[in-house]
Amino acid sequence: MEPTLRAGDHVLVYRWAYRRTRPRSGDVVVLRDPEDADRYLVKRVAETKPPDRVVVLGDNRAASRDSRHFGLVGVGSIVGKVVVRARG
Amino acid sequence: MSILHAFFRGIDRLAPARTAHAHCDIPCGIYDPHHAQLAAHTVIRMNLLINELKKPGPNAAAEERQDYANKLSRYVATKEQHAEIAKHEVRILWADYFKPEHLQKFPELHDLVWKTLKAGSKARQEISLQAAEDLLKDANDIATIFWRTKGLDVIKVKAPYPTERETVYPKLG
Repeated sequence: MEPTLRAGDHVLVYRWAYRRTRPRSGDVVVLRDPEDADRYLVKRVAETKPPDRVVVLGDNRAASRDSRHFGLVGVGSIVGKVVVRARG
Repeated sequence: MSILHAFFRGIDRLAPARTAHAHCDIPCGIYDPHHAQLAAHTVIRMNLLINELKKPGPNAAAEERQDYANKLSRYVATKEQHAEIAKHEVRILWADYFKPEHLQKFPELHDLVWKTLKAGSKARQEISLQAAEDLLKDANDIATIFWRTKGLDVIKVKAPYPTERETVYPKLG
């Protein structure tokens, strides 16, 4: 997610962000890795595909494993929205 | 370090937060069994060159013996190195590329990878054309499965190298 996030940054995640509203393009979100449920990923929502799926991409396109690799992601696998970033 | 980061770090000590990964190993998604196949060809070639090498007789001149020792060492060193490259490449495919759903579809993969690594070790340890041939055959079988997981058919043709062994390539385009 460079340059937005760097390794070691802390982020605060608002877990209830998508209880009433849908993710929007541009949101930085933490989601469960579709290929490894125990792992969290942080990506940016690039597109929303109603009713409940999104395309997520890493900001560092050249080195990101994201929807280009694992396809659309269900909103249910989004853990929350990144609301605060603290640079390490 | 920002004050905010220090604050979060303090909280992290009390109640550790989960790590969110931004990307996996780099380069992401770029895998190819060809490296392993190519390395296996090199191992075969080194065995052939070693077997072709004329052994110096008991009355051979010092220069001839030296030349033999030099060539043999170089072929053996290259054989070692490339057998290890083949093993390394297979391990990468195994650890980073193949997913549980691939294994469900190709349950023979477990044994095949194990066999390939064993053949690679034997090809390193011994001057054995058979071990080298096994290594290539197994690498080809892995390549067949690899390309099928990507929905691609494969062709088996003689490689355009001096080894001329049958090699699996993906049918592209």
